[in-house]
Amino acid sequence: MPPRNLLDVDDLGPQELVAVLDRAVAFRDALPPRDLLAGVPVLNLFFEASTRTATSFTLAEQRVGADVISFAPGASSLGKGETIADTALTLRGIGVKVIVVRHTESGFARRLADAFDGHVINAGDGTHAHPTQALLDLMTLRQEFGRFANLRVAIVGDILHSRVARSNIVGMRMLGIDVVLVGPATLLPHSFGAHGVRIERDLDAVLPHVDAVMMLRIQRERIAGGLLPTLDDYTQRYQLNRTRLRALRSDAVILHPGPYNRDVELTDDVLADPRSRYVAQVHNGVFVRMAVLDTLVNGVPVAA
Amino acid sequence: MRTLVKGGRVIDPVLGLDAQRDVLIENGFIAQIGEHLDAPDARIVDAANAIVAPGFIDMHVHLREPGQTHKETIATGTAAAVAGGFTAVACMPNTEPALDSAALVAEVARRAEAAGLARVYPVGAITRGRAGHELAPYHLLAAAGCVAFSDDGATPRDARVLRNAARYAGDLGQVFISHCEDPDLKGDAVMNEGSASARLGLDGSPGLAEDVIVARDLLIAGETEKSWHIAHVSTATSLDLIRWARARGVRVTCEVTPHHLVFLDDRFDDYRADSKVNPPLRAAHDRDALRAAVLDGTIDVFATDHAPHGADEKAQLLSIAPVGFSGLEIAVGAYALALRELPLATYIALLSSNPARILGVPGGTLAVGSAGDVTVFGDRPWTVDARLFRSKGKNTPFDGMTLPRRALATIVDGAVVYEHGQILPRENFVETHA
Repeated sequence: MPPRNLLDVDDLGPQELVAVLDRAVAFRDALPPRDLLAGVPVLNLFFEASTRTATSFTLAEQRVGADVISFAPGASSLGKGETIADTALTLRGIGVKVIVVRHTESGFARRLADAFDGHVINAGDGTHAHPTQALLDLMTLRQEFGRFANLRVAIVGDILHSRVARSNIVGMRMLGIDVVLVGPATLLPHSFGAHGVRIERDLDAVLPHVDAVMMLRIQRERIAGGLLPTLDDYTQRYQLNRTRLRALRSDAVILHPGPYNRDVELTDDVLADPRSRYVAQVHNGVFVRMAVLDTLVNGVPVAA
Repeated sequence: MRTLVKGGRVIDPVLGLDAQRDVLIENGFIAQIGEHLDAPDARIVDAANAIVAPGFIDMHVHLREPGQTHKETIATGTAAAVAGGFTAVACMPNTEPALDSAALVAEVARRAEAAGLARVYPVGAITRGRAGHELAPYHLLAAAGCVAFSDDGATPRDARVLRNAARYAGDLGQVFISHCEDPDLKGDAVMNEGSASARLGLDGSPGLAEDVIVARDLLIAGETEKSWHIAHVSTATSLDLIRWARARGVRVTCEVTPHHLVFLDDRFDDYRADSKVNPPLRAAHDRDALRAAVLDGTIDVFATDHAPHGADEKAQLLSIAPVGFSGLEIAVGAYALALRELPLATYIALLSSNPARILGVPGGTLAVGSAGDVTVFGDRPWTVDARLFRSKGKNTPFDGMTLPRRALATIVDGAVVYEHGQILPRENFVETHA
């Protein structure tokens, strides 16, 4: 049985995850007929602003023939009285079958899914999860290396506030990828250590030994929040730039969930580097989202 | 009016008594303890196969009145108290407005008397409005009936204010009760900081947030020689700090809640606020240290931190839902669940004798001439159904759990106010503790 929702990557088992990626690759190789979700009402409910993810989902929904409704209610409207249960009931009554939801609050997608008699796809909840981003990252890695086993991937930066990092950690551990988290202790507490997940403070020591490096966005509010002293101090330790690119293996790849903060977590040299896979990532995103929609709604049989 | 509790195993840690006895209460006071007592006109409470103890006192509850009566009232809160086996409660001052004036305190006492169930001992604020800046009028509050002072729910951020409060109130017997959480270290946390909060992407509050305030307050207690009580201890380090302070002569007592003794910070996978509480549920290391500290005598008091809220409030998003949940009606069973090996005399001391001594209130013993407050309880397993609570707060992480012990009858001032699952308000109630 396929999962009802995709709240995080581990709603899929390892085999289901691979099957979704296979389906995404098939869609990328040849677009499917536009009737996979013909007439299925899909609501894009983005409480938190989004450009790339919302666009990618909308295109994916259109390519599978769904009836697409997009609504950006603003983050506060649920805080002003209407309960999650009321919202879910209303949306189901209207006839919505799939909700693609983004919210600033960790766990919002889960709370909505528990109250909603339909499918919920988490397009990002607070600092918790962003499963379709992780799936497209995994799709990009597999496209590059043809395997997951024995890969070593470094995720660098503000792990604490990153839903992309969390979902990738879940997915990568599930697939046996060796995860190395790199960042200062204020943005990467010890509590992230786990089986298959190592914590490092020295990016220079890590770079020569990884197959891929994922650079997370650093937000300036971390300085006001007392978590970082200055951007200069951070970049001196953790920025991927021309010098550090030399330490990265020639067959390694660079991932970034976007959007970039140029000259913070990376420099233009990185974007121009042939090992950068940003464009492949966003390209794959549409097909991953088509595959997720198809899997949840149609229960596409998964390969054993 | 006479009440005779017959056939029970009477345990009184103050008297050192543990024997089959009858207890006769006359005119609101313990009149006689003996074998096969007879009192033809007395109201009989059958305590066969049950334990008879001095009335349980919960020194940490939130009755929400005035100001938040949609969460609880003094009437519903005291009904919950007696249904849970408590003959008295101390109510915290974080009402709206806060209990920082004699008039408010007198009104709470008046409403408690009108409810005619449990005794209610108001706790006055340490600072005006619990805002942490100006001192509350301790002597006026004490004269109005406050048994302790606390800014519970918060701590004065300014150590100078707290030090001056302790110095000014130093001539009063009323203990200071600290809610220990550093607001800066805590931030916007909704749960304990640890591997669970890291995995779930939720803001966590470190044990350190409690420990630094416990340390600060113990140092102020020592320097000012004020007697002090640390509320709802939740970390192993706090316990070590309390032991250290005691060894240096600081007069400090402390309490633990049922939820911190039973639950861990692994209850947030559904992102619901049912287990959201301050201080937060911690990891196993801390929970196990709390259990050990009850057994080794570090912890003096069982207190529930009964904190009722409306169901709709607790159903909100985790970040905005209020902290706390009902505790009065599960406490007797929950402590037994957490500490099956705890001797009954110690269990009763933590629920009755010790809080009575710390607050300087009647009860805590069945010695002849003491207040006629008695709790009858038994090891009768039951399953918690929060919908049936007398409290307006129908939330508890214990909902659906089977607890090994329950209150069977509650006697306040010689009147049976709870028996056979029924609340029995008193008529012509006369306060005896004034």
